[in-house]
Amino acid sequence: MNEQLRAISELDRVIHEPGRLMIFALLGAVEECDFLFLLNQTEMNKGNLSSHLARLENAGYVEIEKTYRGKVPRTLLRLTRAGRKAFDRYRKRLKAAF
Amino acid sequence: MKTELQDYMERPKRYNNIDGTGEMSVGLLLLGFALLRFLRSVLPEDSMLRRDPGDFLLLFGGLGAVLALIYWSTRAIKKHITWPRTGYVAYRRSAKSRLTVMVAAAVFGFGFTCLMGFARRHDAMSLARMGYLAVMPAAYAIFLYRFDRECPWKWLVLLFTALGLLAIGLIVPGNIVELVRPVGLFLGLTYLASGAATLYLYIRHTHPPAPEIE
Repeated sequence: MNEQLRAISELDRVIHEPGRLMIFALLGAVEECDFLFLLNQTEMNKGNLSSHLARLENAGYVEIEKTYRGKVPRTLLRLTRAGRKAFDRYRKRLKAAF
Repeated sequence: MKTELQDYMERPKRYNNIDGTGEMSVGLLLLGFALLRFLRSVLPEDSMLRRDPGDFLLLFGGLGAVLALIYWSTRAIKKHITWPRTGYVAYRRSAKSRLTVMVAAAVFGFGFTCLMGFARRHDAMSLARMGYLAVMPAAYAIFLYRFDRECPWKWLVLLFTALGLLAIGLIVPGNIVELVRPVGLFLGLTYLASGAATLYLYIRHTHPPAPEIE
């Protein structure tokens, strides 16, 4: 197997999905944001975004906090330490592959 | 792919001025500074506020009040308009970003001091004036290119700014210190108007979503 193929095969599959990669790129640049911001920026539908976030939460990459602003529910999202490390590793490997 | 990834990573930065608060903040700061200098110039010659430490207190007290106004008004716009419509973002305040701000402030301060020293030489005055007048449109152009590419009409604001500063440079005689007030007033009002127009367009094109469980 050549170096490029090896680097690609070593990419984290949880991150290496277009929808989740978008979420990672946005969350990686901020301290935290809410569900509405991700919904607007990724242009996914609510169901899709929720399922990707649930997958990332199960992998331990994203922390989800349900709060209220007045009577309106608000979902706060942030990358965990493991999530940031995984994203840094992913970007390094992606750079090495291309 | 790499470019697209970087584009997504830069979106939160661009989002910061989606409601025009960045421009309005800079506009208010410049306007506040120019008005404080005007206030000083219209005070009587023997006024305490024209001599140290009164002058110092007037400038820094006034700028402190302007900064407080900027902080509270920006927060109010974000809290009541932006976050309910297009979402809340808290930015990372890393040591690297703080260092970048400090280095930029130091470079700007050093550059301005050098320019003032350079302007003392009578033969270099016109060059120093040109440099002073060119800094703001250049900074605004960089800001537009990096963070506000989605608003093509802002390039017209840049053109207006450059032409306005050129006119001020031709009309107002004297050294750089005499240029500070009219330039501050002109740029402050221009950026404030541009920011307000951005906020108006943002409100017109966005609506808060109907509340439901996420």
